[in-house]
Amino acid sequence: MNATTLASLLKKGDRVAVSNITGREAMNVSVISQQFCNNVIVGWALGKDGDVIAVPGGRDIRVFGQFEELMKALPPTERPNKVIVYSPPDAVYGDVKEVIENGEGTVETIFVITEHVSVEVTAKLKRLCDLAHMDIVGCNTLGMINAHDRVRVGAVGGDSPRESFLPGSATILSNSGNMVNTIAAYLQSAGLGVAYGISTGKDPLILTPLKEFLALADKDKRTKIVVLYVEPGGTYERDAIEFMRQRKFAKPLIVYIAGAFAEGRNISLGHAGAVVDGACTSASDKMRLFDEYLGIPPFDPTDEKAARKNIARTRRGIRVATLHAFVPAAMALMDALKIKQDFKPERPLALNPWIVELGTLARKLPKTLALEPGTIPSPYNELLARQLKGDLGRVVTPQPMRNASHASSNDGATPRVYGYSLLNLMTQGSFGHSVLLSWLGVPPTHAFETTLFEMCLIASITNGPGTISAQGAKLSASAGNEPNTAMMTTLGSIGSVHGGNGKAAAHFLLKIFLDSGLTDPYDRQKAPDLDALVQKYVASYKKRKLAAKDAGIEIEKVPCLGHPVFNQETVNYDPRERAISRYLDDHKLYNVFLDFYHRLTRGMMSQGVTSKVHAVNLDAAIACVCMGMAWPLLVDKKIGIERAADLPFLTFALGRVAGGASEYLDHRESGTDMDMRAPVSECKALTRAKD
Amino acid sequence: MNSRIGELTFIEQLAQRYKLPVPEYLAEPVSQSKLREKIEQWDAGIVKPDVLSGKRGKAGAVHKVDNVRDALRVLRETAATEINGLQPRGAYIVQYVPADYEIFTAIGYNSHTLSPAFTVSLKGGVDVEAIGDKDKVVVPLNVFQGLNAYQASEALSTLGLKGKLNSKLSIVFVNLWDMFISSGMLNCEVNPWRVTKDGQMFACDFKATFDENNFKTKDLGLVWPEYPTQETTFETEMNAWAASSHQGQAHVSSLGGKKILPMLFGGGASTIVTETLTQLGGDPIFLSDFGGNPPYERMKGTATLCFEHYLHSSSLLLILGGKANNTLIDVTFSAIADALQEYVDAKGPVNIPVVVGRGGAHLVQGFVALKKTLDNLRMPHVFFGPDTPITLVAEYAAALAKQLEKAGQGGRT
Repeated sequence: MNATTLASLLKKGDRVAVSNITGREAMNVSVISQQFCNNVIVGWALGKDGDVIAVPGGRDIRVFGQFEELMKALPPTERPNKVIVYSPPDAVYGDVKEVIENGEGTVETIFVITEHVSVEVTAKLKRLCDLAHMDIVGCNTLGMINAHDRVRVGAVGGDSPRESFLPGSATILSNSGNMVNTIAAYLQSAGLGVAYGISTGKDPLILTPLKEFLALADKDKRTKIVVLYVEPGGTYERDAIEFMRQRKFAKPLIVYIAGAFAEGRNISLGHAGAVVDGACTSASDKMRLFDEYLGIPPFDPTDEKAARKNIARTRRGIRVATLHAFVPAAMALMDALKIKQDFKPERPLALNPWIVELGTLARKLPKTLALEPGTIPSPYNELLARQLKGDLGRVVTPQPMRNASHASSNDGATPRVYGYSLLNLMTQGSFGHSVLLSWLGVPPTHAFETTLFEMCLIASITNGPGTISAQGAKLSASAGNEPNTAMMTTLGSIGSVHGGNGKAAAHFLLKIFLDSGLTDPYDRQKAPDLDALVQKYVASYKKRKLAAKDAGIEIEKVPCLGHPVFNQETVNYDPRERAISRYLDDHKLYNVFLDFYHRLTRGMMSQGVTSKVHAVNLDAAIACVCMGMAWPLLVDKKIGIERAADLPFLTFALGRVAGGASEYLDHRESGTDMDMRAPVSECKALTRAKD
Repeated sequence: MNSRIGELTFIEQLAQRYKLPVPEYLAEPVSQSKLREKIEQWDAGIVKPDVLSGKRGKAGAVHKVDNVRDALRVLRETAATEINGLQPRGAYIVQYVPADYEIFTAIGYNSHTLSPAFTVSLKGGVDVEAIGDKDKVVVPLNVFQGLNAYQASEALSTLGLKGKLNSKLSIVFVNLWDMFISSGMLNCEVNPWRVTKDGQMFACDFKATFDENNFKTKDLGLVWPEYPTQETTFETEMNAWAASSHQGQAHVSSLGGKKILPMLFGGGASTIVTETLTQLGGDPIFLSDFGGNPPYERMKGTATLCFEHYLHSSSLLLILGGKANNTLIDVTFSAIADALQEYVDAKGPVNIPVVVGRGGAHLVQGFVALKKTLDNLRMPHVFFGPDTPITLVAEYAAALAKQLEKAGQGGRT
């Protein structure tokens, strides 16, 4: 091994390059690493030259096509000295060879994360790295972390490395990547932090074997205790023990050896190299070897006093028989060898259920099994409470959907919309009904919903030729565009200010009604106390308005209240909204959201926030109609919040694009081409000529 | 799954390709006349089962025969006799080779030298690893250069074999290396080579394991023998599913348990959790490792297979892993939740408790997605976060499963 200290394997200031960085896993891990320690300076991936991986809150990562190119492009002081290999198994040999050929004298360590690399290639990598005087860790390592320097390579620590790896005096060497993390979390309960956490990998050949890591740990001043997680397979432990005996290894060990249960059974464990293949390779052989080396019996949690006495006598450490015995064993060891805790542990290691819902089963269980919910640590408590309480809408998990869809299908005979035959919809339903099915994922529950939706579409068609969207269509027609371009121009002329404010209204309503217990928005009797909701909101708005005035800034507007045209009276109405309200009244229907909006605009005036009763505009009415349909689906978690919020804008856009088409047709037929160019004499240059 | 072969496949398909001398043989179906002709020509034959017998070998199942009647009977009996619980594919007969010398060789990868190594010994009958150090010579090899005749000769000289035989064997051993490295083997053993008085040598037993990750194995063009296995249908289906993609693990090994259906994440976690469950009477149905950040479809397919085979017969569903480094918990848990919902939709309700323990990226979203489904299905559940040790969660699950059995609640509805 060329590294002379654990820190020389990984320290602050190291410059890391990542192979195949645009791959799913490599990219995710690199972004988190970058946010944690900003040590990924560059990546490479075939055919991705010039890409940049954006890192929110960290330095973006430049991507080259090949390692050779990045070495040529970077000045010597900025070239990587650590390399992480995430290449697919068949590409690992070529990529490591490229690193060796181009990184000699610069690259010190290569961490091969890739799993399923052939043993022949693994042996070849070792040979090549030895000749090039480079260290190689893996294959199938998860990487390592230097907790004091707060740097990592690979995915050790997952998405929150700070959480598990508090700086301290234990170095963890583990055959399992996950166990590095898990053991670090356990040790916290003993007041023991981590100096280094290293995943050795557990393929048939472990290219940096245990004895070499131990040699470095022995010299490391931060490391006071070495913690080992060991699996069957290989003679690494036998070699390590021989080394420790010869070199009079000075650091105490805490050792856990897994996999004894598999002996005598025809089963294979999870890691490729966890295969008993000769003397000293089985779990029980390894236990025997360590017990002989340590010279004391394994840790007995019922007799910690004896353990302390034994540890103090041999000073070589102790083996534990179960993983959670790490904590009492570590405490006994620290006590026996007078090693100070790194910090005061926050909580003991015990069952701490976060969610318990045993129902009637709890009554049949003894107290020890009928658990009560424990204390959920921060930040999980707030997140979980919010997610479980803010129980509206489906939790959406993204999945690959390139060629997949819930919304549409076609088996070669019948096109379907959310499973409903398009042919049946054509003959039995209306356009509005089918659009609602395609947007909600289920058919509208009530017939009046389709009517209201169609009213909204009609109301959205136009508000006169002077609107931005109508002008857009006319300009497009004047430019000689085709109909689709004119329709796109119409769509391009609407946004959150013009026509799209319904989305803001939907979010506004979701926020107002989130904790109201509302289930049926059409049931007046079960509606929450709207006046109380209005009063609460207006009081808060008034306070914010005053504060904003003091600060000289503008306060946010209540979405969809007021309209530039319908704004001349003390009490104002948008006639299109009135049509919808009238329909509801005429049919003895109720919409809690529209009722809320009317009360809100009156409440704002009565409490002096506004000088007149602003019109509840069309966007608000559309939002109320859409939320009426969406709310029960949100309560039943059939659709997500974002889908619900998008519905009003989509409704407006669909209606308005038809209106845009009408302006295009009309203008093409009857209008002259508009020339919107301004004469040069009327244009003002705000920048002086500079050449 | 790494493929293994025994002597018969070696003789039939590999030996000639790599110029390795083997005795003549006859494999089923064998005509009586052909058998008579060969036994008369050979003087005697050795009947062997075609079986991958593992470490203890085929000892006791190998018979010398010197007439056609015995040969036919022994072939029939051998083909029908289980060896260490394994059913042979069939039986075959090879020429009996009277020998002056027996030499034992193995090539494999050595975890001490981190390279291939050639082992040769004059003592055998057991696995090569079990031969004492003083009775064997181990030659670490440069993986790029392999075994050369000089190295082989040196090793044989060390064991006292000199002269013409040394030279002939050395050439054969180089051919053995050629076969090893060009076919993507993990290890191969000839145990033994038998050398006749006139200096002819024959590989008289053979076994090899091929590296499933080595492209050479895939391109070898062998007709792979299908040995009867003790795999359960579940294992067979899961192995096929696991082989269908390298994204995420889908590894299982049946344990024959009856109580806990364990969906475990991470090679280390799966080992220690299964160990804990086994020690404490949790009686896990299988060992599993579903870590490695499986995408949604992969995880859902894995969960669906587990549920279809075992959900209705288990008494507790355990979903447990450590604090994930890579795996996205919302993706995996949503996939499990969806598979569970679909299973119940198709097969009817299941009323077993679900014990969950996990940590990692998107944990809260994953917990919420799974909890919503469990609430919807009215399945009792307990969730633990990464602050509870996985072995304590396993202890709790084992105790709960035992209690349910004691109370007579097997979980079915």
